[in-house]
Parts: sequence; C-alpha cells; structure tokens
Amino acid sequence: MSDESTVKPTAPLPVAALDDPHQLPYARHPGRAQAVAVVAMIIGILGCIGFGITYWVSDQTQWEAVTLGVGLLGLGFGVTAWGKYLMAQGPFVEERHPFNSSDEEVKEITAAITQRGGIVVGRRKLLGGLFAIGSLAFGVVAAFPLIRSLGPKPGRMLFVTNWRRNSQLVTVDGRPVHKNDLEVGGVLTVFPRGFAGSSPDQTILLRIEELGPEDPPLSLASPGRSDWTALGYVAYSKMCTHLGCPVGLYQEQTVELVCPCHQSIFNVLAGAVPEFGPAPRPLPQLPIKVQNGFLVAQDGYNQPIGPGFWERP
Amino acid sequence: MIDESVRWLDDRLGIAKGGRTLLDKIFPDHWSFMLGEIALYSFVVLIATGVFLSLYFVPSAHEVVYHGSYLPLRGQRVSEAYSSTVGLSFDVKSGLLIRQTHHWAADVFLGSIAVHMARIFFTGAFRKPRELNWIVGVTMLMLGIVNGFLGYSLPDDLVSGTGIRIAYSIIESVPLVGSYLGFFLFGGNYPGNGVIIPRFYILHVLILPVIIGGLIAVHLGLLVKQKHTQFPGKGKTEDNVVGTPMFPTFIAKTTGFMFMTSAVLLLLGGLAQINPIWQFGQYEPYQISYAVQPDWYMGWLDGALRIMPSWEWVGWGHTLPLEVFLPAVVFPGLTFGFFWGWPHIEKRFTKDLATHNLLDRPRDRPKRTAFGAAMLMFYFMLFAASSTDVMANFFDVSLNVVLWTFRVIVFVIPIITYFVTYQICNEMRAAEGIGKRKRAMVVSRSDTGAYSTVTAEPRPGDDAHELDAIPVPTYINLTPEELETGPGVRRVMR
Amino acid sequence: MRSLFRGRFLVPALLLVSVGLFGLLVFLPSASSATSGSSTSANTGSSGAGLKANSGQFPQTPGSSSSPNQSPSGDGIYNVSLPRSFIAPGQALFAANCASCHGADASGTDRAPNLQGLGAGTVDFWVSTGRMPLANSSIQAARKRPRFNNLQSLEISAYVQSLAPGGVKVPTVNLSNANVGNGFRLFTLNCAACHTITGAGDALADGAYAPSLHYATSRQIVEAVRSGPGNMPHFGPGNISNAEVRDITAYVHSYIQHPINRGGFGLGGIGPVGEGFVGLLIGVGALMLVCFWIGDRT
Repeated sequence: MSDESTVKPTAPLPVAALDDPHQLPYARHPGRAQAVAVVAMIIGILGCIGFGITYWVSDQTQWEAVTLGVGLLGLGFGVTAWGKYLMAQGPFVEERHPFNSSDEEVKEITAAITQRGGIVVGRRKLLGGLFAIGSLAFGVVAAFPLIRSLGPKPGRMLFVTNWRRNSQLVTVDGRPVHKNDLEVGGVLTVFPRGFAGSSPDQTILLRIEELGPEDPPLSLASPGRSDWTALGYVAYSKMCTHLGCPVGLYQEQTVELVCPCHQSIFNVLAGAVPEFGPAPRPLPQLPIKVQNGFLVAQDGYNQPIGPGFWERP
Repeated sequence: MIDESVRWLDDRLGIAKGGRTLLDKIFPDHWSFMLGEIALYSFVVLIATGVFLSLYFVPSAHEVVYHGSYLPLRGQRVSEAYSSTVGLSFDVKSGLLIRQTHHWAADVFLGSIAVHMARIFFTGAFRKPRELNWIVGVTMLMLGIVNGFLGYSLPDDLVSGTGIRIAYSIIESVPLVGSYLGFFLFGGNYPGNGVIIPRFYILHVLILPVIIGGLIAVHLGLLVKQKHTQFPGKGKTEDNVVGTPMFPTFIAKTTGFMFMTSAVLLLLGGLAQINPIWQFGQYEPYQISYAVQPDWYMGWLDGALRIMPSWEWVGWGHTLPLEVFLPAVVFPGLTFGFFWGWPHIEKRFTKDLATHNLLDRPRDRPKRTAFGAAMLMFYFMLFAASSTDVMANFFDVSLNVVLWTFRVIVFVIPIITYFVTYQICNEMRAAEGIGKRKRAMVVSRSDTGAYSTVTAEPRPGDDAHELDAIPVPTYINLTPEELETGPGVRRVMR
Repeated sequence: MRSLFRGRFLVPALLLVSVGLFGLLVFLPSASSATSGSSTSANTGSSGAGLKANSGQFPQTPGSSSSPNQSPSGDGIYNVSLPRSFIAPGQALFAANCASCHGADASGTDRAPNLQGLGAGTVDFWVSTGRMPLANSSIQAARKRPRFNNLQSLEISAYVQSLAPGGVKVPTVNLSNANVGNGFRLFTLNCAACHTITGAGDALADGAYAPSLHYATSRQIVEAVRSGPGNMPHFGPGNISNAEVRDITAYVHSYIQHPINRGGFGLGGIGPVGEGFVGLLIGVGALMLVCFWIGDRT
C-alpha cells in the first residue's frame, strides 16, 4: 500500500470509484477469503442438513446440537467473513449533527407549556382539582382488585400450625411413629396426623442417646423444657428460622442440625440454638411424649415457626 | 423492482430520506461494541426457544401421575408443571436441546449484559447525553435477573422450589407489609394455593418479556438517535462517527454474529447439561437437597444472605429480620439505585457537565476504573460466597472457615483491587505508547559509517496506515455495461 | 488464507477451536449414557431408561464360603453369617493393623472408639471403603483405596463380630425386585439433604463432609444406612425397612452412579455453580472472542 493512497480528500464524495481504496475489500487476498467463506457456508449447509437427518433418525440431543451448532456456526462465520473481508473496507464517516434545539426553541416550548397550561389550569382550578382527585381515587380503587384479590390476609396463619395437644406424629406416608421406630442416632421427618406433607407442620424428630433419668440428655437443658422429650426423642420444627428451608441435614456425631440452604448450624443439645451462620433464632421445639407406645405431641409449638416477619412479637 | 417498492413505500410513509440515513449509519469497528449484541441475540434465542417451550409446558401445580419414560419417576404424583418439563426433556423430539439452549441463553444473556455494562462503565459511555440509555440498560439487567429467576422456578423441581421458598421468606421479611405481600402473591401461607406457578408463568412469558422487548427497542432507538460513541483515533472527533455503514457491511457481520451466537448457545444446549430436573425430582416443601444454589446471576444475593450475620431486631412487639431484609431487599435496592444513579453520582465528583461522544480509555480515568474494578470484585466475591459449601468441599476446608473468610475478603479484596487498579492505571499512563502498535525503527548505516534511524512503513493497525474516512458514497462509479447488466467481478488493483 | 490466520487472529481462532474440542470431549463420555436415554424417548417410552442398570444387579456373595441367610420376607437384603473359619485370620489382621489404636480386644483406647457390639457390617464398611486403617488423623476419615481385599475385610469383620453380639450384620443385596421409583423418593427424603440430590456430596459443619456416593457398592450402601458411620444418622429398620433400603440402594446404584445425562456433560452434578462457570467462561467467553475477531482491524 503506497503512501499516496492515504492522502484522500475528506470532502463528501457523492460518487465513488469502484477502485477507490475505501471500496476495496478488506482482505489482502479476496479470493482466498472468499474460499474460506465458501467452505464455511458449505459446512453450514451440511450441518443444517445433518440436523434434519439426526432429527428424523435418532433425536439424539448431542448430535442435534453438534449438527445444528456447526450448521449455524458455518453459516454465521461465512456471512461474517463476507462482511469483514469482502465488503468495502472504508473507513467511512458520518457527521454527528447536534440534535438539541436552539435556546429560542427551548424557550418557546417551555412558554407554551407554562403559559397555555397555566391559563387553563389557573382559571379552572376546580376542574383541575376534581380531575386530580378523581384520578387519585381511581388509582387507589384500581389497586383493590389488582392487589387485594390476589390472596387472603395473613391473619393468624403465620402464628399457628396444625400441631395440637395429643397430635399423633406420623411419617410423610401417614404411618404413626412408634417409640421403637428410631434407633439412637436416628432422624425422621414427621407431621401431625392428617397433615402429612404440610409445609408449616414439618418437624424433625431425632433420637439422641439417653443417659438415664438422673443424667438426662443435654437437650433438656433449656429451662422449662425438661419434660418435652421422651426416651431420648426430641422434635424441632424443620423450618429454618432464617429463610424457611427444611433443616434436613442432621450431623449425628456432633448432634447438630444444618440448614442446607445457607449453612446455619443449630446445636441440638442446647435447644437448637443457632451457633453459626445467618439464622437468628433457635428452631422451635415441639414437646412430645409417648402414648400407648406411639409418639404424640404434648402441645403445639409455643411460638411462630419459620423465618421472622414483622407481626412476630 | 426495488425502485418500485421503495417508491410505493415512500409515497405512503416517506421512508426514502430517513431510510437512507439509516442505511448509512456508521458502526464503529472496535470489538467491544459487539458485546451488547451478544445480549440482543441471546434474547432472540430466548424468545425463539421460549415459544417452543411454551407449546409443551403446562403451568399448573395440579397433581398428576407421571407416565413418561424416565423410570424413577413413573407412578409418582408430581405437578403438571414438573411432569410437562420432564416430558419435554424426554418425550418431545428436540425438546431437551431447546430447553437447555433456553437455559444457557438466559445465563449468557445476563452474562453478556454484565460484560457490556462493564464496557460502558469503564469507557465512560454513560456520560451525557447517554444517561437515559444507561438507565434503560440497568433496568433491563434488573428485569432480566427477575425473569431469569422466574423461569428457573417454573419447572417446580426440588432445587427451584427451594428458591421459591427462599423468595417467599425474603418477601415476608419486609417490615409492615411483608406477610401481606407474601400471602397475596402466593395466594395464602407458603406454599400457597397453587397459584404461584401460573402467576410466575404469565410474568415470565408475557409481561416481563414484553417490557424487556420494549426497552430493547428504546435502547436501540436511543442509540440510533444519539449515534454511537467511539474511541479516540485518527480522524475521530466529538462530531463524527468513523466505522462501517449499516448496509451492507454491518448487516452482514451482525447477521453472521447472530447465527454464531445461536450456534454457541445450541452447542452448549446440547453438549453441556444444565438443570437436569429429572434427577432432582418434584419439589415438596419438606424435602431438600444440599448444594442448592440459584443461577449465577442471583448468586450475589445468595452470597450476601450467607455471609450476613444473624442480626434480627426484636422490639415493641415486632420483629425485623435484618439478617434477611438487609442483604436480600435493601442491598439489591441500593445496588440498582446506585447503578441507576451512577451517571449523576459521577457528575457530582467530576463536575463534568459536557457532552461526550469520544470514549475514555479506562487508564485515563484511574479513579473510575479502580472503583469499577472494585465493584466488580465486590459482586464477584459475593457470587463466590454463594458456593461456600461447594468450596469447602472442593478445597477440603471447614465450612466455618470458608464463611468467615468470605465475611472478611468480601470487603478486603475490593479495597485491594481499588488500589492495585489505580496504580496500574497510573503506571500505564506514565509509560509511553502503551496500547499503540509500535512502529518499527530501522537502523541503517551509511557508506560513511554514520547511523540513522528511519521509521518503518506503516502496518495494519497503525493509525498512519488507516485511510482517511470518507462519507458513504451515494453512487458507485460503474461502467455503462455494469449499469446495464449489474456489477460483475471487476479486477481492481490494490 | 495465510493472511487470515496470521497474527492476532490466530489466538482467538485457536481458543475457539479449543472450545470446540472441549465440546467434543464433553460429548464423548456422555454419549453412551445419552444413547440409553434417547432410545426410550424416541420410542413411545415403553422401555425404561434405567432398567438395564437395575436388572443387571445380582446379589454379591461376599467371600467364597459364606452362605446367604435366606430371609423369609424376600425384601432383597439378606444378612450373611460369616463362617467361623474367618475369625482366626481376622484376629491376626486385626492385631497387626487395628489393635494399636482400637486395642487388642477392640474395646477402644483413648485414640479410637470401642468396636465391640458394632457388628460385622459396621467394620466391613469402614475397612472395605478404605477409611480404616486411618491414613492421618483428620477430622473425618476419607474414602481411599482399601488396604484389604474383600475377603480380608470380612475376616476382620468376623473377628470383631465374634467379640460381642449385636450390631449391623454384613448384608448381601438382591436388587432384582427393587423399585427404583420408591428408592428415588426415599433418597430425596432421607439422603439428599446431606449427599445432595445427585449424590455428589458436600461439606458439612465443623470440617466434616458428606462423601460422594458415586463409588459405593451395594453392600457398603446398606451397611452405611444401617450403621450410620461418622456423622451419618442411623436408619434402623423401624425407620427405613429392608425393602426400602434395597430400593434406595437400587436407585443409588443405577441413577446416582450412572445418571441419565441426556443433556450432555454432567458438569459434576454440582448445579448452578458449575453451570455458571461454563456459561460465563465458555458461553460469554467464546462469543467475546468472536466479537474480537469481527472487530479486529489489523
């Protein structure tokens, strides 16, 4: 490329010669570039055909992806190479005309708004006020069906579960839990009878080694909860106090419950207090007892289960 | 033929003048200007694949018995949403390819938006007059994240159901109205009365895509109206744009790029498995899998939730779960408020009220660049914090140690990044000719023994090598025969 | 052509090629499992995708001379009574390899727990997975290449069993009547919270971890469920019946260890973390390289 070609007039040229350097292809060897594009496009066509065949013959996901992917890649590469290497290389320029208006025009439109508007609104304040009130009223009442129809009010629902006095503990299949069902170190998800699978009622039942009546398991340590367990069985709400995930991860040796979502760690032997992670409160404990060989709840939870919310005291 | 069509349209719409301007619109050649197109074409792929999926997906929590071909699920009671998603993965021809391509396209869509946004930020392309387009872009990022989460939630599998559960609890954490919002949105106490999947569905397939599509139109409309920015260079001023015209060069390149974007997404969609919901099973609120994370673009929120200390405020008969409300409501609110306001915030510091069409090189704005790098690192650290458990497992470190490490380095590493970046920028500015192609110097010895240095011929990539830019020609000088028969191949000399 | 592949274009091109090769590589291992899946979907879905993995299991007979104790219930899990002849060689192995920590009579020392009464199944789990003898005193014993072969492991187990009655027996598992669907359901309910739904395992609190399930044999699965090694809870027959354990084992053995990765490379089964990296590095990364090529003017 010679130096002369770089010196070109920048004035607008309505007519360009086909041999103007700006009109030349970008590729140094356009023939070769074209060959590359041709090969790419042929591969692309073959790929697309291959996809059609794959679809009819096997519907194998990987082959479908490879054929169609190669097909589109080939076509796309070919067209891009065509644009990049074989079209007028330029560079071309476009003037950037300021699109903002003159000060005069800005003043005019401002005046139009304030003066015309000011006159009508200023003279008819009543109409303006009524329309504003009406619009506001519409806006408020329109929100009723838009928002209020969506669902019920919470009421007391966040405060109660279906656990009641003498609710029988059942598994997710509805089978009552017998006192011999769990071995020491066992874990089971339980629900109140009749509500198997219900989200707020999910409760995790653990059986911890009982060290004898005069040396009770440490889980009884919480004041006022000494008789909330039976035969080493202890039950806590399975709903994490952080974000409500099921606290299904029980580490038997360290006697910890871990929330798999955000790794809050609850120390079961200290009343399921969170000792690590973002959970703010202990898991609520369900007082349980043995009745006729089966486990039942002494009472419901004494506090709302799950994550915190504004109305929670 | 073309002539007649144009005339017909022009008589009715007057397209000739504006259309010509559009065809001549100049696109800068720099590669970083194509990043937004990845997002655009990912969106196209999302729409195309999404339409396909909507033909098979049933947005219903209604329980059915699964009868498809995946054996472990046979006979299980699952929701129609889950059953139809497994069905379109196993029993609809090409269904899995399309479903996975859709999911990958969402991941790449948001990834490319992030990269594109970083380019805009670091080069100062958001400055006057383009603040509005920045705001539109940030809004699309936010809506894209929300829509991605909604789509991720639709199959009603164990992993996404856990995500919905967390979303519900986050809504519940808002003071005063939280529990009401949760009950309204879900139609009752979690998991609600089965309305959440249809509601997410209509948001995911209609409302949000229409808004995003409208914003894309605004985004591109503003781009055409305000014209592109450009990097400084030979012949490039505040008052022009240098590059290649829309027609035919840019159209060819960008069409090809659309095909290649689709190709990459399809290849990912068929070769790299994503979200194998048949392995996860139907969501039940009492079941959980370990190692559940949201998709990557929600990771920063999940990370923030993980490393937040357990600060719950209780008083006056009320509870304010700050450990949820701060990282999951206030923090993203601040984040997007900050992003939206960034052009204005920067003006406060720079007092720069001028119009800018030439871009900054990042090193020339060391403070902004360092700040941007620190922000990126901050969000990346939060993203990494969303996989504390996976990391603890992978590196065989205690979970507790990993969490505490993140609580510290989430703040420390961005600060270090700031100072390191600032230093690098300044040193790059101090060094001569960084970023420019070095012109070779030829040293020659004359007969008399004197040495002289001569600058070598300009090479491609040098400014001196570039031609001066000319306006797009109206006519091309064709020979009379070519005008008759159409231009053929004419051998031109370089 | 030479000009095309010169200079700066070479780097992105090579990277793209390597991305493509990566795609091909990830495709190869998945192809076999995907074919078994696709054959089901291409047809009306009458043939079960995992039947092969399920019906191919036969009761493993641990040791040549042991005889399965046929349980009348036919629930697929039979306890093996280890022959008395195993005790003497087992004692020798125990004395040489285990007694230094657990004591000569396996009653434990201040370094290692009492093994008496844990049963042969417990011992067999720890020894046959290579966790015992312990390599180093880390928080949790890691699965590694076992030091003892199957027979030796059973001999040691027989010796420990002979010291005290009770505990977990060495089982043999017949998966031929297993219901993988039930196994899947029970796996999700009881196992996924720690081992993850894909069985990949993950970190627990205090430096412990739930191991991957991808290498466990049927016998080890049953032994682990019943004995609750380490931090794993104990699942007794009152909680999970023998038939249910068999179903879980069948599920782990088929769909956990040989997942139907119809969608391609499984990315380690660790969910969105791996997917995010692939999407950003390979997806966005490859497309950025394409951008670089398109915009390159040198």
